[in-house]
Amino acid sequence: MKKTVEEQIKVLFEKHSLPPLEVIIPILEKTGRGEEELSRQLYDTYANLAMGIKEILGLKDKNMKTLVKVWGIITSFEGIKIQPIELDDSRFSFSLADCPMLHVGKDIRLNVKSKFCDLICTSAGKALLDTVLSPHRGTLTWDKALIKGAGKCTITFESVKDR
Amino acid sequence: MSYLKNSLLLFSILLVAVGVAFILAWLYTAEFTSYADMKTVLTTTTAVFGTLLGIITAGLMFTQGKFSELSSELSEKSPDYLANVLSLEKIQSIETHLLALRKAFTQLAATTTVTEERNLYERIAAKASSMFVNFAVLANLKLKQQGLPDTGLLVSEMDSNLYKVYEKERKNIKKEWQLLNITRKIINIWEAPASFLTEKSNRGSALQADLKSSIHVLKLKESVDKSSTNIRSEVTKALSDLGDEISEISNRFHKDRIPQLLTQMEQSGTIRGKYFYLTVMFITTPLLINLLILPQLSETTANFFKPIISITSSLSVMGVTFLLLYIQKILNV
Repeated sequence: MKKTVEEQIKVLFEKHSLPPLEVIIPILEKTGRGEEELSRQLYDTYANLAMGIKEILGLKDKNMKTLVKVWGIITSFEGIKIQPIELDDSRFSFSLADCPMLHVGKDIRLNVKSKFCDLICTSAGKALLDTVLSPHRGTLTWDKALIKGAGKCTITFESVKDR
Repeated sequence: MSYLKNSLLLFSILLVAVGVAFILAWLYTAEFTSYADMKTVLTTTTAVFGTLLGIITAGLMFTQGKFSELSSELSEKSPDYLANVLSLEKIQSIETHLLALRKAFTQLAATTTVTEERNLYERIAAKASSMFVNFAVLANLKLKQQGLPDTGLLVSEMDSNLYKVYEKERKNIKKEWQLLNITRKIINIWEAPASFLTEKSNRGSALQADLKSSIHVLKLKESVDKSSTNIRSEVTKALSDLGDEISEISNRFHKDRIPQLLTQMEQSGTIRGKYFYLTVMFITTPLLINLLILPQLSETTANFFKPIISITSSLSVMGVTFLLLYIQKILNV
C-alpha cells in the first residue's frame, strides 16, 4: 500500500533526526571543541530534510515559495510556530516565539548561547538555501532577540539578485 | 499500591457519606409529622429508586456486554500474536540488544560529568530496562503457551527492583489478551507519536528518539577523542535492528486496531468504576430498607420507623449525588 504524504514525511523525519542541542551545547561548552562536527550534523540534517520534502512534494522550482513550503513543513513537524511577516519573490521574513536555544540549560552564559545561535542559524540556513535555491543564491539573517529575553525573534531569508 | 489507595478513597467517601446522612437525618427527623406524610415519602422514594436501580442495571448490562465483546475480540487476536508476531527468536534477539544497551548506557552515565548528557544516558538505560522486563514477561507467557520450562536466563539479568516489576507485571496478566497491553507498553516506550502541529514538548521522548540523540552526541564526542567510536557503532546497529523488529510488531498492532480496542476496554472499565458502586450501594440500601419497612408501616409503628425513614431518605440523597457524579464520569469518557 502506498504511503500518504504525511506518512512519507514522518519517515523522513524519523530517518534524519536533529541533534539534541540541549544536551550537545553543555558538552561543547565544557570541552571547547567539536563545533565543526555540530555544524556538519546540522547542515546534513537540514539539507537531507529539505531534499526529502522537495522530493515527496514534487517541488522543483528554485524560488522563495518553495523555500517557504519546505521551511513551513520543517517547523510544523518540529512543533515550532512561525508568524509570517513578509513574503515576496526575493524575501521571506517571519517571527518565532520559540527556538531550540531557549531549551538549552539556564546556566549557560549568554555569550555561549549567542555563539551557538549563530552556529545553528548559519548551518541550518545554509543547508536550506543551498538545497532549495542553489548554493550562494541566498542569505539568512537573524536578530537573536529570543535569547536576549525578547518575546519574538525575527528571521529573514533573502535571495541574491542576478547581476 | 494504587488498589490500596482506591480502596482507602472509597472507604473514606463511604464513611463521610454515611456520617452526613446521619447528621441530616438527625436534623430533619422532626419534619415528618404524620403517618400519611411518611407513607407518601416512603412510597415515592421506593418507586423512584427502584426505577433508578433498574436503569443503572440495564446500563451495566450494556457495558458488560460491550466489555465481553471487546474481550473476546482481543482474546481471538492474542494467540496469533504470541504464536507468530512475537516469535521466541525475535524476543531473544530484542532482549540481547536491550541488555547490551542497558549495560553500555549505565556505564556511560557513570563516567560523564555533564548533567544533560548523564540524564540522557540514564533515561535510555531506564527505558531499555523497562522494555527488557516487558519482553521477559512476554517470553514467559510464550514459554508457558508452548509448554516449555522457563530457563530463568532473562530473570538472572534483572536486579531486585526490575525483578519486582517483572513479577508484578507477570502476575497482573490474568487473561491472555492482556499480553496485548504489555505489547502496547513496549511500543509506547519505543516510539513516541509524531505528527504535524504537535508541540514537541508534548510528544514525550521515546527510546528510539533518545538513541538517535545519543548517536549525535557520541559522534560529536568522537570528533573530540576517538574513545566513543565502538560504542557508537554498537548503538547504531542496535537501533537499526530494534527498529526493524519493533516496527514489524507495531505495524501489525496498528493494522489490527489493537490500540483502539484497548482504549475502549479501558473506557468500559471506567464506567464500572467507584462511582458506579457508590451509586448502586446508596440506592440499593435505602431501597431494601424501605421495602422491608413498607409492609410494617402503620399509624402505631410510624413513630418507631420515623428515624429510620429519615436516615434512608438522606442515604437516598447521597445515592443521587453519586449518580450525578457517575453520569459526569461517563460523559467525560
